[in-house]
Order: sequence, then structure tokens, then C-alpha cells
Amino acid sequence: MTRPGRWIGAGLVAAIAIVAIAAPLLAPQDPYASGTDMLALPSTAHRLGTDDLGRDVLSRVIYGAQASLAIGFGAALVAMLIGVPVGLVAGTLRGVIDVALAAVIDLFIALPGLVLALIITVMVAPSLRNLILVLGFVMWPPIARLVRGQALAIREMLFVEAARATGGTPLWIIRHHVWPGVLPVVAAQFATSVSFAIFTSASLSFLGLGIPPPAADWGGMVRSGYDYLAINPWMSLAPGAAVSLTVMGFYVIGRSFR
Amino acid sequence: MIGIGRREVLTGLTGGILAMAAHAETPSRGGTLTVGLSNDSKTYDPIFSVQYSERYVLYLAFDTLVKYGPDFSIRPELAESWETSPDGKRIVFTLREGVSFQDGTPFDAAAVKWNIDQRLDEKVNSPQRQVLAPIVASVDVVDSRHVAFNLVTPSPVLFSLLGERTGFMVSPTAWQQRGPVFGTQPVGTGAFILKEWTRGMRVVLERNPNYWQKALPYLDRIIVQDLAGSVIGVQRLLTGEIDYVDQLTPTDVLPIETRPGIVLKPITVGRWYFLQWHVNQPPFDNARLRQAFAHAIDRDRLNEITMRGQGTISDGPTPPGLWWYDPMLKSYPHDPARAKALLAEAGHPDGLEFVLSTPQVSVFQQISQLLQEQLGAVGIRLTLQPVAASEWYARVVSGATNLTPTRWTQRADPDGLLYILFHSTGFANTMKYKNEQVDALLAQARTIYDVARRRQLYAEAQRQIVADLPMAPLLFGAEYAALRASVNGFAWVPDQIPRFRDVWKSG
Repeated sequence: MTRPGRWIGAGLVAAIAIVAIAAPLLAPQDPYASGTDMLALPSTAHRLGTDDLGRDVLSRVIYGAQASLAIGFGAALVAMLIGVPVGLVAGTLRGVIDVALAAVIDLFIALPGLVLALIITVMVAPSLRNLILVLGFVMWPPIARLVRGQALAIREMLFVEAARATGGTPLWIIRHHVWPGVLPVVAAQFATSVSFAIFTSASLSFLGLGIPPPAADWGGMVRSGYDYLAINPWMSLAPGAAVSLTVMGFYVIGRSFR
Repeated sequence: MIGIGRREVLTGLTGGILAMAAHAETPSRGGTLTVGLSNDSKTYDPIFSVQYSERYVLYLAFDTLVKYGPDFSIRPELAESWETSPDGKRIVFTLREGVSFQDGTPFDAAAVKWNIDQRLDEKVNSPQRQVLAPIVASVDVVDSRHVAFNLVTPSPVLFSLLGERTGFMVSPTAWQQRGPVFGTQPVGTGAFILKEWTRGMRVVLERNPNYWQKALPYLDRIIVQDLAGSVIGVQRLLTGEIDYVDQLTPTDVLPIETRPGIVLKPITVGRWYFLQWHVNQPPFDNARLRQAFAHAIDRDRLNEITMRGQGTISDGPTPPGLWWYDPMLKSYPHDPARAKALLAEAGHPDGLEFVLSTPQVSVFQQISQLLQEQLGAVGIRLTLQPVAASEWYARVVSGATNLTPTRWTQRADPDGLLYILFHSTGFANTMKYKNEQVDALLAQARTIYDVARRRQLYAEAQRQIVADLPMAPLLFGAEYAALRASVNGFAWVPDQIPRFRDVWKSG
């Protein structure tokens, strides 16, 4: 099951994780310190130039990895914590519970994720924590549906029927048969969810609903640089590229499990 | 670093002005002027106008009774001259002869009386009533060319009001016939007739062939094209899709400063930016805390970064260039050590935390982040709370917002801004400021015609306001209009609303 894509993805993700963790060591300057050389083009003093407040763009992109990974992993985790149990219960138990849960899942899947996230973010004040919760809430239904499908297939297998015939409780069956069976799918979906969360949070930030300034946040940086594309394009391009690479890294990993 | 020094910009501008002067004798007729504007207009009925951008069109379709000069001086417009009675409570305006509204209704004293009566009528409920009713008791028709305003008290403020929304003369017949649709099909005496208004798209105005100033206007047509922001406006100006765009910051104009074929017109009097709070409530009712804020703020650096040094530091509400500006007035200087000491004296030796409400407008976001940095350095920790630009002012008025940066454009009379912001009954006094001495000074100054005496009173009032710190003054902004070089005859009025009546296009 090894595909080259997975290694490329893993390499990208590892590199970004290292950047995030080692940001204080890697960033050449304080990402929040203003300066009087605004919107400067790249130079030896500022490798990617400066933003509208004279802050070092490179340092801000480096620090931005922290927020992006926190949102990506946090939101994917929240989505898993809701989606996996719902899917397992629905798929293993069948019956009325399954019908009800499947209806709820389908209802949420019918709503586009970004629109739903937009509506909720407008209602709650934007902050890192709220963004993680909102995105997690938006992403759980596809996970639940996937897990339910897998669980349905597994519960029909002979060894599961045998377990049921010998008096295994649903919980025991989930733990010993269904869960190990859906684990690879969950792992793949987790990676895809991280990429979706990072991408969507960047979109929300671009619409002004992300982490409030002065946070070094890629989506927000793309947005504020948009007004100055003709002056220092790196203010938008650099964080934009960082979002693309990170999203791609996680997506490729997720895909390689299919 | 791209961009050029300021001196070169000024040289370029001077060159532009000289070039224009060479054309000045021969304005040519014809052509279409396309104006780019982020248009938030809701109505073009002057009696109900509130929105900022409505005035771009109102000054084309309507004329005011008097008009503002480039220095905010009051000049004749539909009124040729006026005389004030010895007690200062009756002003008789002599109206221009031979003026008609665009629907043929003659413009006369009866029309002026009708216009002012509408604004005063409680049933009509014009937003202008709140400023006009305390000044004007009644209006009499003397004869068809002479109309008398009977005032509650002597009022120099009246003239400034008659040069803006309150002074736009509406055709009484059209207003009564058209009812609610007058707001989309307005009729004034103006140089241009509104032909089409497609909301979110454009407003089309065509030359009024019967305009009372025979040579004017020069243009055949003006199109006010909707824009989603000034950056897009700059791009459209470069492609030639529009001829004019304004509200550009010193940063916005960087890419076009040196472009041939583009002329920049800096505004002459900047908007006033300040940081406001609820001065009557804890914790801001503590003068030491307010002083700590003021001492912590580095206004020079704010100007340097947000206005590229092209704005002016604010020591009070009035910028240089207006007659009520007091060069002696100084606010609290930047002194972080003093700020820390005051904070400790105010009972907050470990600093304290605030939420700063930030409208989602680039310049406010920039100012907010710099304030956060500067105040953070003395222990005042700010959390920024972005608020949609459309919701922000409503929240300020309702009191939901406490600490926030804000800005106001200057008015033609000192009373215009100082009274509404700093009198305890002023309708824009969202700081809840109340100082009886300031109230008395502002109330007195609005009833005196003698400019020298008024200057003294306003100097005293502003000194007190700045000492009391119901807000921390920040700066006066720098802004530009950018025009294609073929556009001639444009000049700013300090209220920052462009007038296009005298504009013409060459070649």
C-alpha cells in the first residue's frame, strides 16, 4: 500500500510541523513588531519583504504555521470525536437509531461546509478556539457517513455474526471487530479533514472571519495583502503558497490510503 | 523599496496644476465623466439623506442656498446675497433671478420657505430637523426674490447648514407629486439631471440644458459607477474605465504616483482620527487611566506608518488650516514611562486588559494593531475585536462598543463637529462626555457672529476638552483623489465631498 505520494505528503507535513514547532528559532524577526519600512520588497533584511505595518513577512509566515496546524489538527480531532462514534453506532446497531442518525448526517452533508461555517462564525465571535469548534462541527458528517458505511460492511462478515451468535454485546463487537476494521479509513479521512480545515479557515480569514489581528494567520495575511498586490505581492503570495503546500501535504496523505 | 519621496510627488502635482492653468482659459464642452465610488446611497431625496456618499450625486442634481469656498468660506449660490438684522435674529436672503427647477417650477422665495418648512415639520421627520429646529423659528416670504429666516437665537451656524444637506433646494411640485419615488427620481435646480439609478451598479446623470449658469456644465454626462473598494478603483483608473476615484490612502496611491496620465489631488483638510471611550463609566472615568492611554500613544509613529508620514498629528479636534485651529493647543506627549507611572497611580500597577472594537476598514485595522503594540508596551493589553464596517457605527451609537478608533470629516462651522461630539446633548456624543464649562462655551459660541470672539471661545472649549480626554486625539488623515489627466477643473472643498459641476474633459 505504499505509494510515493504518501512520502511526499509526509515530507511536506513533517517540514511544516518542524517550522511550526521551531518558529521562535527559525523566524528572523518578531512577527508582531511594526516597522517604518512598510510594504518593502524582499531584501536581505526582509527575505519576503514587509507588510503594511512594516512587519517581516517571512517571520509571520513561519509563525502562521502554528495557527494553521492548530486549526487543522484541532478541527479534525473535534470532527472525529463526533463523527466516529455516530458512524460506529449507526452502522453497528442498524434499526431505528441508524435511520435517524443517517437522516441527520445526510441533512448536514447537504449544506455546503464553507457556507455553514460562515453562518456559525458570524454568530459566535471569531477566535482560534471558536474556529476549531466551528470547523470541527462542519466536518463531522462526512466522517460519520464513511465510518457507518465501513461498519455496515464489517458487521455482515462471518466472524462478526459468529461473535453476535455467541452473545457478544454491540460494544464488544465495535471494540474488537468493527473499530480495527474502520481504523485505516478513519486515518485517511483524518488527513483529508486536516487539509479541509486549513483551507476553509483560510477562506474564512480571507472573508474577515478568521483569527483577529494581529495574529500571524495565513488566510488573514492573504486578505490584508490583497490590497497591496501591486506594491509587495509577497505579502499575499507567501502565505498563499504556505496554505497550498500544507493542504496538499495532508490531502496527498489522505488520498494514498484509498 | 519602491515609491518615491514626497517632494517629488508635490513637484509632480505642481506640474499638473501648472498644466491645468495653461488650459484654464479654454474649458471644452462635452464628454462623459465616469466616477468610481463605493456607493452606499439609500436615497437621493436631500430631505432624508443620511449616508455619506449620497452627497456625491446630490451636489450634481441640486444646488444649495449658499456654497463653501475651498477654505470653507460661505459664498453665494442660489442666494445672491443676505442681510442680517441688528439683533442677529432675522436674515433676509436675496435669491438669484431666473432660476427654475428641472421640472420647470420656478425657484423663488416660496420654494425656499417650503424647503425649510419640510425640514422643520415634525410629521415629515427629516433627520435634519434636530440641527435646524433649535436655530430656525420660521421662514417668511418677503416677496418672490426675498426670503427671511427668523431665528431662535443669532446663529452663524445657519450659513454652514445651508451649504450642505439642509440647503439643497428641492422642487416642491415634484416632491409632492412623486412622493416616495422622489428619492430615486429627484428634481432640483442642479447642473445635472438624474436619469438612471441602478442600485449596486451605477447612477447616470445628464447635463441640464437650462442650468442657470449659462456656460455650465461643461460635461454632457456623469456616470457614478459602483466600486468594490479603492484598490479596484485604482486598477480601473489605469485601464481608463473610470476617470476619477477618491478616498485613496497614501499607500493606495503608491502604484500610481509616477504614472503618466494620472493626476493626484490630495485633500486639503484631513479627517480627524481619535480613540474614544465611555468617559462617564469605570474604568475610563479615572482621569489618570485616560492620561496613561494618551501618554502611551506615539502619534508620530501612527502617522509615519498608517499615513506614510503625510498626515498631521492631532493635538485636538481641529486641524491646521481652519480658522478655529489653535496652534497653542497641545495634547499629552508620548511618554511611556509617565504612562506606566500613571497606570500604577490609577490602581493598575500590573496593567489591565481591554477589548478594542475594530471596524473592518484597512486604516482602522492598521491603527488598531499599532495601538495594541504601543499600549501593550506600558501594560495596557488590548484584544482586537473586528466588527463589520456596516455594523460598527450602530454599535458605537447604541453603547455596545466602548473602546474604539473613530473618524469624522470636518464641517464648515466649528459648531458642526464640536457641538455634536462634545456638548453633553450632542447627538454624536457617544463618549458620554459632560463638562458644564464646555457646554456653556459651546452654547455661547454658536450664537455669536463675531469670528474673533468665537475663535477665543472655541480655543477655550477645545483646551478643556483636550485636558479632560473624553478621547485620545490621534491624527488628521492624508487622502487623495486620483484623476485621469484629461479631467480638468477639479478642486477639493474641505468637507471631502467632490463637486463635479465645474469639471471639464480635454482631448
